[in-house]
Amino acid sequence: MISVKNLHKYFGDNEVLRGIDYEIDKGEKIVIVGASGSGKSTFLRCLNLLEQPTSGQIFIDGEEITARGADVDRIRRKMGMVFQHFNLFQNLTILDNITLAPTMLKLQSKDEAVKNAMALLERIGLPDKANAYPSQLSGGQKQRIAIVRSLAMNPEVMLFDEPTSALDPEMVGEVLQVMKELAEDGMTMVVVTHEMGFAREVASKVVFIDEGVIKEENTPQEFFSAPKNPRLRDFLSKVL
Amino acid sequence: MQRLIDKFVLDFIEKERWKFITNGLKVTLIVTLLALIIGTLIGIVVGIIRCAHDQQNPSDLRGVKGFLLKALNAVCKLYVTVIRGTPALVQLLIMYYVILITAKSKILVAVLTFGINSGAYVAEIFRGGIMSVDPGQMEAGRSLGLSYVQTMIKIVLPQAFKAILPSLVNEFIALLKETSICGYIGLNELTRGGDIIRGTTFDALFPLFAVALIYLMLVLIISYLSGLLERRLRKSDIR
Repeated sequence: MISVKNLHKYFGDNEVLRGIDYEIDKGEKIVIVGASGSGKSTFLRCLNLLEQPTSGQIFIDGEEITARGADVDRIRRKMGMVFQHFNLFQNLTILDNITLAPTMLKLQSKDEAVKNAMALLERIGLPDKANAYPSQLSGGQKQRIAIVRSLAMNPEVMLFDEPTSALDPEMVGEVLQVMKELAEDGMTMVVVTHEMGFAREVASKVVFIDEGVIKEENTPQEFFSAPKNPRLRDFLSKVL
Repeated sequence: MQRLIDKFVLDFIEKERWKFITNGLKVTLIVTLLALIIGTLIGIVVGIIRCAHDQQNPSDLRGVKGFLLKALNAVCKLYVTVIRGTPALVQLLIMYYVILITAKSKILVAVLTFGINSGAYVAEIFRGGIMSVDPGQMEAGRSLGLSYVQTMIKIVLPQAFKAILPSLVNEFIALLKETSICGYIGLNELTRGGDIIRGTTFDALFPLFAVALIYLMLVLIISYLSGLLERRLRKSDIR
């Protein structure tokens, strides 16, 4: 459902992505790993055009989103994104955080959106926080709410950009748990993370990005037990 | 003591001279309020354009849209530079004697001058405020499918507004007092009202102090109201 062709991205003179080709099928859980500065986050951010690719093409369900005049806002509705720093709307309550986009884009009535949001909050065990503000929550709570905020748009794909990197260690588990449940429900997911345990357990494919290209891609078993690329072997020996 | 009372009566009561003050106050308030509205509108638009330009990756500024944004940004920058770089009094005189020479209403000239003048300062205040909001807020809004403008209005501007309220109030206070130069184009606002009394009665003490006191009271009211507003806006900061 996502098809990336010869993707390049420059920041000024710095070439961060040097030609990435990749296909993601519906229901797949792709985990992207790599050292910091390897371009993995940039790749993820290109998928919903938070970064404008310098060249190359990206297709979502056969539609070229990198085409001139593509309706980016409409395409983004299909793709939820979870950020490292949660990015909950600071000026809104939790309930308004979740209902804002569906109601503003007229996808749901106010009542529907509130009902939907409360159901989502029940699911992550935080219905009592509906009227709290983000500043009153812990990091783990914020990230779980950021996930259901994206889910409120009923996306077809969820993108995760290092969702647990900014969390205190004891809060990583609760966020990963929500992501695992999401994976079990069949959501298509693309996850940039340093949580190798999560990659092993949940991923359908693990991708190693280094120096702006995909150096290796494999099932988690093969990826961790028999890495071929020397850079990957080096990387794994440091993180495992 | 009796002399002071006589002077007071001469300055304000006789021939209903107090009307110079009240009518002047009315003009001052009208000019300030309308200029405030115009200035804020200009300021928000110019501030957003400047930010929209500055927060783009330069390499993304391509195509017709990119060119348009660059052109708009250049115009806004020029506007801010020229307005901030010249005295308000000179702008007022140019507006009155050169640009709006056919305008019948001096109030209109004053409102436009101060609106345009204040807009440049408000734009810079808003620009600073918008820049201070975490870019992640905009990204989160966009990633949910909201447009730039929708995210700006619902998420970024409310947060920016809270941060800039004190500077904004500062600018409004400065604007209120700056309207006192309208006397130069013969507009009878508060300061000139007091000065006219001084000119007729040859007593400077009461009229000028009365004018000063009224300005002070207006500023105190503005400060009080902004304090109330600040407290209301702070509700999302509770921890």
